[in-house]
Amino acid sequence: MNKDYIIEQLKSQIKGFESETKTEKVGTVMEIGDGVARLSGLTDVMASEMLEFPNGEFGVALNLEEERVGAMVLGGYDGIKEGDQVKSTGKILSVPVSDNFIGRVINPLGLPIDGKGDIKADESYPIEKIAPGVITRKSVHQPVQTGIKAIDAMIPVGRGQRELIIGDRQTGKTAIAIDTILNQKGQDMICIYVAIGQKESKVARIVGELTERGAMDYTTVVVAGASDPAALSYIAPYAGCALGEYFMDKGKDVLIVYDDLSRHAWAYRQISLILRRPPGREAYPGDVFYVHSRLLERSAKLNEKFGGGSITALPIIETQAGDVSAYIPTNVISITDGQIYLEADLFYKGIRPALNVGISVSRVGSSAQIKAMKKVAGKLRLDIAQFRELEAFAQFGSDLDEATKQKIERGKRTVEILKQGQYEPMAVENQVAILYAVTNGFTDDVEVSKVRDWEKDFHKYLKSSKKEVLELIASKKELSEDVIAALEGAIKEFKEVYQSGK
Amino acid sequence: MKYTATQYAKTLYEITKGRGEQEIKDDIAGFLRLLVKNGDMRLRDAVIKRFGEIYDAKNGIIEAEVVSREKLDAAMIDKLTGFIKDKYGANEVVIKNKIDEKIDGGIIIKVGDELMDGSIARQLAKMRNKLIA
Repeated sequence: MNKDYIIEQLKSQIKGFESETKTEKVGTVMEIGDGVARLSGLTDVMASEMLEFPNGEFGVALNLEEERVGAMVLGGYDGIKEGDQVKSTGKILSVPVSDNFIGRVINPLGLPIDGKGDIKADESYPIEKIAPGVITRKSVHQPVQTGIKAIDAMIPVGRGQRELIIGDRQTGKTAIAIDTILNQKGQDMICIYVAIGQKESKVARIVGELTERGAMDYTTVVVAGASDPAALSYIAPYAGCALGEYFMDKGKDVLIVYDDLSRHAWAYRQISLILRRPPGREAYPGDVFYVHSRLLERSAKLNEKFGGGSITALPIIETQAGDVSAYIPTNVISITDGQIYLEADLFYKGIRPALNVGISVSRVGSSAQIKAMKKVAGKLRLDIAQFRELEAFAQFGSDLDEATKQKIERGKRTVEILKQGQYEPMAVENQVAILYAVTNGFTDDVEVSKVRDWEKDFHKYLKSSKKEVLELIASKKELSEDVIAALEGAIKEFKEVYQSGK
Repeated sequence: MKYTATQYAKTLYEITKGRGEQEIKDDIAGFLRLLVKNGDMRLRDAVIKRFGEIYDAKNGIIEAEVVSREKLDAAMIDKLTGFIKDKYGANEVVIKNKIDEKIDGGIIIKVGDELMDGSIARQLAKMRNKLIA
């Protein structure tokens, strides 16, 4: 390699450069402020077309009025001044997509923010897309294993479902979503975590946790931080969903967490008010319902003809002081296929995850549960419901008949078993084994305070000496007689060992 | 009923079309009275601007802004006028020459909200992007 060769190459490159001059449509900035610009000109601009500002930032045309165009700026708007020229690009706002995005942290425009270099994209997907229609869909029938006993047993989530996680601040909403992502290891699932208006420190902690536990091998994190403009927060979930659709179109299963949609609604409210769209209830614009419904409708289970892929969505909503009847919570509750309701009271009582089993529901997930789980879960639900009813009586400490006492004792143990630490997802066969044990009274003679230790040792025992039972449950997926016999045998044997070990 | 500046300008164009000098004087006086009566005098600047645009559009007159590094000479202006006439099918072209040293060379033609950027500055930027990519 000599210098002449390099110079020759450079010359030929420059010689080969051809520049053609094309007519472009331009507009002029009339006013700009708070991330929203008003432009004149731009006669043929399309709704949600990308615009290019002179400082290199992109914008999106939102309001097309008779005399002017209202646009939001996707990025910093300092340096843009009145009279600046804005070019239209002729492209609808879209994000780059490819397999290379897995394992990366990106902003809503698809640019990497993890300092690991450029991401090579194959295609670009529009961020707004009409959801899959009726004929392309199939009803939900495969489970998403969250690894959380209480959810997998009583509020099961299926692939293609939209399950809302709702609760006050600091009740463990994000923890449930992150545990679910961690548990997707080896489950042939691609995960996308969309952080909307979150503190950068929280996002950094989550990315660190996902990396440490090996979950970044199948996860993309889309971040619109608290300091990013509202426009980026607004497009973040759509961008995450577009990336998810790319994988779904390839027939893959995708799990998307939107953390959280309350902040998304706030960002949209800010943009709408600055664009002078009329405010409605709680100052949200009239189309805030549609903003969320068109996003969540894009989650789907496609049928085999269309590749069989799926997008499962776990939107998160933060309530204020447990008020689920506020505008955004009621909207999203009515859109989703069920909700996981977390309560601060339960959280402080030490019941974690702080799930309110009574009002948490899954409207479609039960058809995605494996048969074995369905069997134990039915009984579990009943036990808990009866326990809740009788618990109030027990407070008075009056004499109770044997049956009632027994039900209360069983209930206490069930509640103990359903407690689960963060970052401790559990395989479905282990869940079936322990839930079978508790619903069939095998733990009734264990002290309530010792139940969790008992459970821990039980799993250890199953893992070390009764692997075949777990494998049997995992392969058969139902509680046929031989499975029950093997499982009961294992439990009894463990109890003997445990008793003598003490 | 509120009227927009565009509606006023269109009306003004329609009533003055093909009228003599004296008649136009009367028309404008009447038009101004209407503006005052409707309380729309604040729209006057917008109406004037709009009227200019409508008049130009109807009569095939095009106003073009041409940005160059140095003042355009007469031959160049002739050439540009011919080019713009062909491109937009106009009867008459009014060229406004603007000097901007930052474009390094070449010219930028702006007609309405359409822009043809043939400046050296942009071509260099484009080449830079291509060589880096």
